Amino acid sequence: MNDALMTGGQGDVDKGAEGNVTAKDVVMRYGNIMALDHLSMEIPTGIVGLLGPNGAGKSTFIKAVLGLVEPQGGTITVGGLDSRQNVLTIRDKVGYMPEHDCLVEVMTGVELVSYFGMISGMSKNDSIPRSHEVLDFVGIGEERYRPISSYSTGMKQRVKLAQAIVHDPNLLFLDEPTNGMDPLGREEMLDLIERIAAGHKSILVSSHILQDMERVCEHVIIINNGRAVAQGSLKNLLGAQEGRMKLVARGVPEDLAPFVKYLEREQRVISTSEEHGQVTVVLILRGPSGDIFAAAKNAGVQVRSLTADLSTLEEVFIRSV
Amino acid sequence: MGLDPIRYKPWIGQRTEHAKRFLVITDHVFRHKLRSKWLLGIIVLGSILVWVFPILIFSLSPHDSLTTEMMLETLQNDLLFIFVLIAASLVCADLISEDLRGNSLVLYLYRALRPERYLLGKVLGALLVMSLFTFIPPIALGIAVTATQTGPDYAASAEVIARTVLAAVLTTIFFVPMGMMLSSFTTKRTYAAVGIFMFFFTMTIVAGIFSESDINWQLLGPGNLLNYWYDVIFGETLPKGLSSAGIAIMTFLLLVPPLMVTYWRILSKGVGK
Repeated sequence: MNDALMTGGQGDVDKGAEGNVTAKDVVMRYGNIMALDHLSMEIPTGIVGLLGPNGAGKSTFIKAVLGLVEPQGGTITVGGLDSRQNVLTIRDKVGYMPEHDCLVEVMTGVELVSYFGMISGMSKNDSIPRSHEVLDFVGIGEERYRPISSYSTGMKQRVKLAQAIVHDPNLLFLDEPTNGMDPLGREEMLDLIERIAAGHKSILVSSHILQDMERVCEHVIIINNGRAVAQGSLKNLLGAQEGRMKLVARGVPEDLAPFVKYLEREQRVISTSEEHGQVTVVLILRGPSGDIFAAAKNAGVQVRSLTADLSTLEEVFIRSV
Repeated sequence: MGLDPIRYKPWIGQRTEHAKRFLVITDHVFRHKLRSKWLLGIIVLGSILVWVFPILIFSLSPHDSLTTEMMLETLQNDLLFIFVLIAASLVCADLISEDLRGNSLVLYLYRALRPERYLLGKVLGALLVMSLFTFIPPIALGIAVTATQTGPDYAASAEVIARTVLAAVLTTIFFVPMGMMLSSFTTKRTYAAVGIFMFFFTMTIVAGIFSESDINWQLLGPGNLLNYWYDVIFGETLPKGLSSAGIAIMTFLLLVPPLMVTYWRILSKGVGK
């Protein structure tokens, strides 16, 4: 462990170059259970979603990055720093919002946030105004003067976020940030995450709520059974199959049938559905789309739309796991 | 509640207080404990019964100087042992157990705070609170008696005060390591408090039962052990047959292994859920 941080007088940490997290062949076992199975991934800057079913290894990976658990094999680097050699330096640069309840319930919101600001190395004079600032940001008003034991789940989630950002880390780990929140609260939490990321922060969001991830993430890593089974930008993952299109055409049934037969012969048709004189075909283009329009014209069929068929994150997830 | 569209403001400042973070924990423990009505009640009641009466009696009665007998009479009072034990149970019970119950330990440890610093902060906080009852009053007793002495030998009184400081330090730290350890074994502060009290109480009973066969069995009783230490500190002779090594070993066992176990518990529990 790098002890430099603990000896005092080191001043502030270097605030640059601490975004990227890289994991290579990380192995983590709990007894006979393989939590991380040669996990390799590259986490770029921006909002990155870490997706996976319960027990996939998401939280374990975050703990391994923070040095809270020690992997039996592989390497993890954060901003170029090895997570084993520089565990304290790395921890000092990050903010972490754990999944489970972790708040000191006898404290008030503002006491807790300023207290953990000081535990992060801020002076009391800095920590108190900063804690009010972040509590304003997360939307905790006068409730901040009440004991946390009286807070709703949503308010506790906000305070958890506030304690994670009070020292303004450049890298944030949010473990199931919308856990237990109502739809409006979830929406607001996602909005907060986006606003934090707008301040050039790197945020790793671990979640199994796919809609949330689809809403905020720029990059997604799907892990299952301790392995990264898919990763890439959300845009690429959702449109992963190049040339996959959705065609909607309208016409009388006698005209539509030969047109669909033409499509099946000339293109790679994945699915076809017909309803009230309208046919929807999902296909992968084998040639220029102009051929389809020409064939439609010849068959007397009106093409209403021909658009890229993007998968939902749920489809990508199900395909991956 | 609800969100105003506030932009995230980065914090422009320097974090320079890393080395003092354990003191933040100490300060937090101290302030938190001073809000406990039960603990304050025990400290006030105990101070009146154990310290205020001796201060009044010794100061108002004619005396040439502060003597070791005066201090020993007060320190070896069974009432002091009982109140210190209750105070230690109340002080230590929730120090670790609450952080385990609420999983807040992870909030400390992910912040690059070493487990030993966390433990140091908690222990110092507990000692600070304990000192309100076990350190300040005996020193006050010594000073009050010295201030009201009629004789000219202030050097002798000062020497007794110096020995009293040692005795007070020992009394302050004596129960805390075991209290911390038992607090780290549970997530319920009530269990921890009862556990701490019962541990020392049971040791006292066991010591009482077996000491008839051999005086060294008395060392199992924390009250006896403390009393022998007071004898050593104030230069009194120990009872015949009592092992000095036994005193040292028992003291070591009560102070060092419990802290090591507490440290290990913090390490193993630091991962959280």
